[in-house]
Amino acid sequence: MNEQNDVMCHVRESFSGLRMDMPVEDLFARSRVRRRRRLSGLTAAATATAGSALALTLALGGPAPARSGNPPPSRPGPVKLAAFSVTNGPGASTTLTLHKGPQYPRLDPSALRQALARHGIPALVTVGTFCRSKPGAVGFDKVVSASDQADGSAIVINGQAMPPGTELSIGLFPRYTRMLLIKDGVPLSCSSTPSRQPAAHITPTGVPIRGSQNNSQVKRTS
Amino acid sequence: MRHEQDEFADFYRASRDSCLKAVTAVVGDRELAEEQVAEAFTRAWMSWGKVRRHAAPRAWVVRTALNLGVSWWRRRHREVPLADHDAAAPARPGDGVDPALLAALRRLPARQREVLALRIFLDLDTETTAKVIGIAPGTVMAHLSRAVAALRRDLPPANTDTNASEVMQ
Repeated sequence: MNEQNDVMCHVRESFSGLRMDMPVEDLFARSRVRRRRRLSGLTAAATATAGSALALTLALGGPAPARSGNPPPSRPGPVKLAAFSVTNGPGASTTLTLHKGPQYPRLDPSALRQALARHGIPALVTVGTFCRSKPGAVGFDKVVSASDQADGSAIVINGQAMPPGTELSIGLFPRYTRMLLIKDGVPLSCSSTPSRQPAAHITPTGVPIRGSQNNSQVKRTS
Repeated sequence: MRHEQDEFADFYRASRDSCLKAVTAVVGDRELAEEQVAEAFTRAWMSWGKVRRHAAPRAWVVRTALNLGVSWWRRRHREVPLADHDAAAPARPGDGVDPALLAALRRLPARQREVLALRIFLDLDTETTAKVIGIAPGTVMAHLSRAVAALRRDLPPANTDTNASEVMQ
C-alpha cells in the first residue's frame, strides 16, 4: 500500500505546477456566443417556414455583426505564388490555398501575411511554431473552413466574421498548418515541437524575428 | 442569475487546476487538455442547473472533457495536412511535467489512466470513481493496482520517490 501511495504522490507532485489560467469571463463569453448561435439557428428555421427570414433574424439579433475593421472598398486582385495563392470568393470570403509539394517549406510567411492583410484579414504567420493568445478568442468556426483539393488545401476565410480585436494565428509546419483565432493586445504563448528548425516569428508589423520559440511568452510589437 | 454566475465562478476557480491535471494525465498533452477542459466547463455552465446537483461536478467536467476527444480539437484548430502525409500534430508534453512520467502514463490503457487521474487529482474514492466511470468498484481497484504497478516498472526508482523533482534537478 505504501508503494502505491509513493507512486500516486509522485504523479500528484509531478503535475503540481500545472495551472489553468483562462478567466471565467471567457467561459461566459463562449456560452453567450453558443446561445446566440442556437437562437440564430432556431430563428432561421422558423423564418424559413414563415417566409420572412430577414425580419425575424434582425428582430432576434441575427448572426454576429460584421467586423468593425471594414474590408477594402474594392476587392484586391489575386496573389498566386508557388507555395500559396490568395483569391477572392466564395462570396465575400477569401480563399487561401496552400500548395502541396516541395515549394511549401519555402513559403514566405511575410508574403502570406501581407497577402491576407490586403484582403482585410489580420494574421500572425509563424514557421515551425504556433502562437495562442491568453486568453483565447471565440468564433473560429465562423471564420475558417478548410477542404482538401487536388493541388493542396483550400482554406476559406471569412474576414468579416472575425470579431473585433482578433487576428488569425497561422502556424506553418512541414506537414501541416495549424490555425486559430487569437486576441490582439494580449500576451502570446508560442510553442514549437522538438526537432523543428529554428522558427521565424513574424510580428504584426511584419518584422521577422529568427529564433526558436519553444513554449515562450511572446509580446507583440504592434 | 447573478447568484448562479458567482456560484459557477467559485466552482470554476476551485476546480479548474485539478480538472486540467486529470485530463492532461489522461490525454498526455497540455494544450489539448486545456482546450477540452475549457469546453467542458463551458458546457457545465450552460447546464449548470443540472451539473450543480451532480454527485461529483468536477468528475462531470473531466468526463465531458475526455469524451470530446481529439477529433473535436482538430476540428477547432483546423490542422491542414499537406503533401501526402496526414500527420497529426505531435503531442506537446505537459508544461513542467516530467516527460518520462508522461510517456509512462501514455503507455497505460486509457481506462487505467482515467481511474488513476480521478483518484489522484479529484480525490474520488473507489465507490464514486466506479459510479462516475460506470464500472464495478472491484474493477476500479484492479485498474488502479495495475496502473501503479506499470508505473513502478516503467519509471526509474528515483522517479517514484516523492522528492523526485529535487532528485532530478
